[in-house]
Amino acid sequence: MSKAYLGIDVGSISTKGVVLDENNHIKASTYLWTEGDPLYAVKRLLSALKAQLDSSQDKIVAVGTTGSARKLIGAMTGAAVIKNEITAHAIGAMSVHPDVRTIIEIGGQDSKIILIENGIVIDYAMNTLCAAGTGAFLSSQAQRLHINIEDFGEIALHSTKPTPIAARCTVFAESDLVHKAQIGHKKEDIVAGLCKAVVTNYLNNVGKGKKIISPVIFQGGVSKNVGVIKAFEEILGMPVTVDTNSHLTGALGVAILAKKSKVENDFCFDMTDIEFKTMGYECKKCSNNCEIICIYRENEIIDAWGNKCENGAIRKSYKN
Amino acid sequence: MNVVIRKAGLYTMKIGIPRALLYYKYKHLWEFFFDELDIEYIVSPETNNEIVRKGTTYAIDESCLSSKIYLGHVEWLINKCDYILVPRISDYGSGGTVCTKFQAIYDVVSNTFRDRNIKLLYYNIDPKAADFEMIAFLKMGKFLGKSKSRSLYAYLIAKQMQKCAQLKEIDEQKQRLSENKTKILLIAHRYNICDKYIGEPIITFLRELGTVPILGDIASKREALAKSIEISETLPWTFNKELVGSIPLYKDKVDGIILMSAFPCGPDSLVNDIVIRRVKDIPILSLMLDEHEGSAGIQTRLESFVDIIRLKKGDFNEKT
Repeated sequence: MSKAYLGIDVGSISTKGVVLDENNHIKASTYLWTEGDPLYAVKRLLSALKAQLDSSQDKIVAVGTTGSARKLIGAMTGAAVIKNEITAHAIGAMSVHPDVRTIIEIGGQDSKIILIENGIVIDYAMNTLCAAGTGAFLSSQAQRLHINIEDFGEIALHSTKPTPIAARCTVFAESDLVHKAQIGHKKEDIVAGLCKAVVTNYLNNVGKGKKIISPVIFQGGVSKNVGVIKAFEEILGMPVTVDTNSHLTGALGVAILAKKSKVENDFCFDMTDIEFKTMGYECKKCSNNCEIICIYRENEIIDAWGNKCENGAIRKSYKN
Repeated sequence: MNVVIRKAGLYTMKIGIPRALLYYKYKHLWEFFFDELDIEYIVSPETNNEIVRKGTTYAIDESCLSSKIYLGHVEWLINKCDYILVPRISDYGSGGTVCTKFQAIYDVVSNTFRDRNIKLLYYNIDPKAADFEMIAFLKMGKFLGKSKSRSLYAYLIAKQMQKCAQLKEIDEQKQRLSENKTKILLIAHRYNICDKYIGEPIITFLRELGTVPILGDIASKREALAKSIEISETLPWTFNKELVGSIPLYKDKVDGIILMSAFPCGPDSLVNDIVIRRVKDIPILSLMLDEHEGSAGIQTRLESFVDIIRLKKGDFNEKT
């Protein structure tokens, strides 16, 4: 029986899972929609992964979680490593492309740039709380134009003369877009203009003052948009690589971290049958009124968070 | 008003001090001044959810989070004291000017609470009108019914105490700088980083990550002002000059810099941009705080920032 490592990346939109063997080869992988219920999404994910594995051969010894629900899923699975998605993505990308110098990542609400030299991260930047120029911006504009977000990139490729659009802020971009459409700009030109705006916005905000050196890897949900890839290549004047497995990078990275952690626990896929639930309540012990979230496993509390001070701390009766 | 002054010996007058904005800078100067003059004072409590919420309802939308919090503290003090200390600072002469909020806050407060029968203590610094700091304190003493010589003595004592406290702080920070851990320089106004509600969680979280936070505001102001020209020769604002001047002072002793600002701070938005473009060869994270709750975004950014620094240093396993 050989050791295997499970990485789970639970984002706001999609949930990704990867099982690695000891040589970092992917033995099983799954990608599905979170649908606003991370606990149920992970149960479905585990069933799908289990079906791909030979249970007499591989034994999962460590779990790593990442993504915005990492803490919740980490408590549920008894994870050895709970890591933010940025670090997980950097580790994952470097394991697939050891020679990468620049990682561009644009997700649903985040965008970041990671600069690497000789396999070491030398600099990085992330968008501030504003989500302008991220996936959320593109999908809201796609809705306004009545275009499927999946077709967005293809439509942009038909344009020969992209319409310049101010993309500093989603609200301004929207009014600019309406104005350009009313004075007769073609739809594909506007779409191509939006793709270009995402890129210039990214380079001016996140990539500000950073030297982008080839090879460049582009990942995150927006990397599936060929229009944005084309705009990046045109503006940067260098090829931009998008991996077919780029959506799995975070899960891959955190599985590697779980392996590196050397913490090993028994893990059993049977938790698909165990009932997990969360409950939120408002702590009234001081004027901060914190929202406290408690995680229950078969009605036993296993973890809680959200308190700003000790007054609101809840003792764990059982920690997996 | 005059009645109160004449009766000062009999009636114990109480001054209210909002625990916000310049309080964090001049805490010792103000408190020791009143102590020396035997004047009772009350400082509003540490910022909590309720103070932020109230401040937000009283402030106009466009004002910065720090000013909103200030109004919340003033509101707390109403009916709990006779006079509230709200300084008006015009500028610091050749030392530079200040953000409009410090010039306006006296008028903003008296207008916002004009129907709450609020009385403000006269404290005005305006070098153009020969109202230097010492004059401001003498006028304040006169208003409180104290003799000129007594006020002058109290001011000099308080000034000395302020100086001692600063030297002690710098000394303590020197100790922290020699620790053999990952050190992070926080470039943030003291009223943001020392605030219990918005700033302290960041310091606590950085400590939990096993790093040592170094405050840019703790530095010899004279040295920092002189050094600030290495970043920019033309910055108008005294507080920002002092802050950026700490970057050349501490840069070689720390592993990363965090620029923390309260949304939508005008001076900081310009200065942070200059810093990001001009300070190279050290990782910089820009962090924007606003009143929207949810520490997840901030924690993700801090955690990944510390990870990247450790990846760079090659001691990623220091604490994972």
